[in-house]
Amino acid sequence: MNESCRVETARDGDLAVVRTEGYINREGGEEIERCIQSLLEAGVSRIILNLEKTKIVNSIGISILIEVLEKMMERKGALAFCRLTPTIDKTFRIMGLAQYAGIHATEEEARTALSATA
Amino acid sequence: MTLAVPGDIPSLARRVREILAAFGEDPGDEDSLRARVDEAAAAFPDDVASPPAIAARLLGRSLKETRFELRERVLELESLYDLGLSIGGQLDLDRLADEILLRSISLTNSRSGSLHLFDGERSILSRSFGGSLLSADDAIRIDLDPEGLINNRARDVPTSGVRVSDCEKCIVVPIQSETRRLGMLAVADKETRDGTIRDFFPADARLLAFFASQAAAAIETARLHREALEKERMERELELAATIQREILPREIPSFPGLTIAAENRSTRQVGGDYFDFFPLPGERFAFVVADVSGKGVPAALLVSTLASAIHLQIEDARTPAELVQRVHRHLCRFSRARKFATLFLGIFHSGSGDLQYVSAGHDPALVARAGGELEWLPATGRPVGIFWDSTWTEARTNLAAGDRLCVYTDGITEAQNPMQEEFGAGRLAAYFSRVAGMPVKEAASRLFGEVLLFAGEAAQYDDQTLLLLAREDAETL
Repeated sequence: MNESCRVETARDGDLAVVRTEGYINREGGEEIERCIQSLLEAGVSRIILNLEKTKIVNSIGISILIEVLEKMMERKGALAFCRLTPTIDKTFRIMGLAQYAGIHATEEEARTALSATA
Repeated sequence: MTLAVPGDIPSLARRVREILAAFGEDPGDEDSLRARVDEAAAAFPDDVASPPAIAARLLGRSLKETRFELRERVLELESLYDLGLSIGGQLDLDRLADEILLRSISLTNSRSGSLHLFDGERSILSRSFGGSLLSADDAIRIDLDPEGLINNRARDVPTSGVRVSDCEKCIVVPIQSETRRLGMLAVADKETRDGTIRDFFPADARLLAFFASQAAAAIETARLHREALEKERMERELELAATIQREILPREIPSFPGLTIAAENRSTRQVGGDYFDFFPLPGERFAFVVADVSGKGVPAALLVSTLASAIHLQIEDARTPAELVQRVHRHLCRFSRARKFATLFLGIFHSGSGDLQYVSAGHDPALVARAGGELEWLPATGRPVGIFWDSTWTEARTNLAAGDRLCVYTDGITEAQNPMQEEFGAGRLAAYFSRVAGMPVKEAASRLFGEVLLFAGEAAQYDDQTLLLLAREDAETL
């Protein structure tokens, strides 16, 4: 099993898709945070976080994601999650991430949901 | 904002401490409170950084952290519940092991983990995430109490005599059923937000031990399921082998002038590869074969099928038994897999003269019981077929006079064992045929199986038993 988290981004105007692969722990969470920070600074306000290739998160990674979400809300941006494993989906709901960001089955559904917030 | 006047900090911190205490919040030690007050005050404009505002910010943060911790506990409970549920539905051991390992790492905030399952001294599954903490051998030999072991100095101190690789701190717990160790689960290096590695505490070990106990139950369930499937597969295979064998063996005993013929085959549960067949030939000749192929189950049944096809294809064209055996041997060498072979006794009886031409390819000696009571053994005339490409076979002859009987059998009869592991043996076979000299052929054949069964008693038999009994007709006994 691959453990280190890798992040890829695809930007489309003020919307970007961030695709992760690997463990979202402190290191992985910070990698996502850096990536999203630079997207925000570059004018992106809506972000889809696609976790299709991530099978594991821990609470340190989740606390970083919460910080990222708070930053986005301060900037009036919006974030949506998609392609979560059932375990991560449940984890995000229990840990309260679903209060701040939508959880969607596909990237397309997340895109539609974020378009409505534009 | 950092307050400009150093003397303001103690008084500000003192006021904040009083407010926090009034709300039942532990303000912590002096230094940490001052640092937190300083940090909180920096977030306010100068004129708003009052003690109540700073205390409210610290209380808000504390509430958020408490809520996060509570949610973590809920997540732990939900994970244990989910794992318990998945035990009932998840019978794939690999997927189950992955799920247990990932949940263990995730819920303890560890960086890496390993899970090993074994059966006695044999490793059956190894999974690691973030690097392998222990080899399969170390996982088997590490000595652990049921509650496991915390080692917060893993770089310097071996963990129960075993060096856990590439980590600073670890927990290792056994996965065990009521009666035996099934495996081992280990996680290493508990993360913190600031990038340091925290000590593991007994609560972490308890959580991991609980996962391990869930894993043990799941693994036992999956193993029992796998064993049931394997048993079912083997039974289907045995049934298939038995069907193949039934289809190949002749359904009826042919009649042939001058001969009385009896033949029987008793398959054991494992279904070996015995074969017999008859071929009335032109010129008042009667060919017959008894064979025993190597192996058991479907492979043996398929080899019998190959052997039977070869004999059926070649028997009309071969001029002598030796030529027929040679052709069958070449056919087997070409079309059967390596290390598959057969012993066989192939004879051609001439009804006019009573002559019997035969080849015995590594087969147990056939027995001739003469009408006058003498017994003669017909030893092998060459090697088994299907082994060495350049093997050859010599042909032998004997004559069956009126009342003589020929008994060709497979070693399932002579090697049948009783509970003392004694074999029935050729001696008992010979004695039996001496005893039943006057008995009708079919009855003598049938009763032999009863004799073998009586000898074997409760002992299980693992080889097919086949008997072919030919008697040159004699009006007095038939």
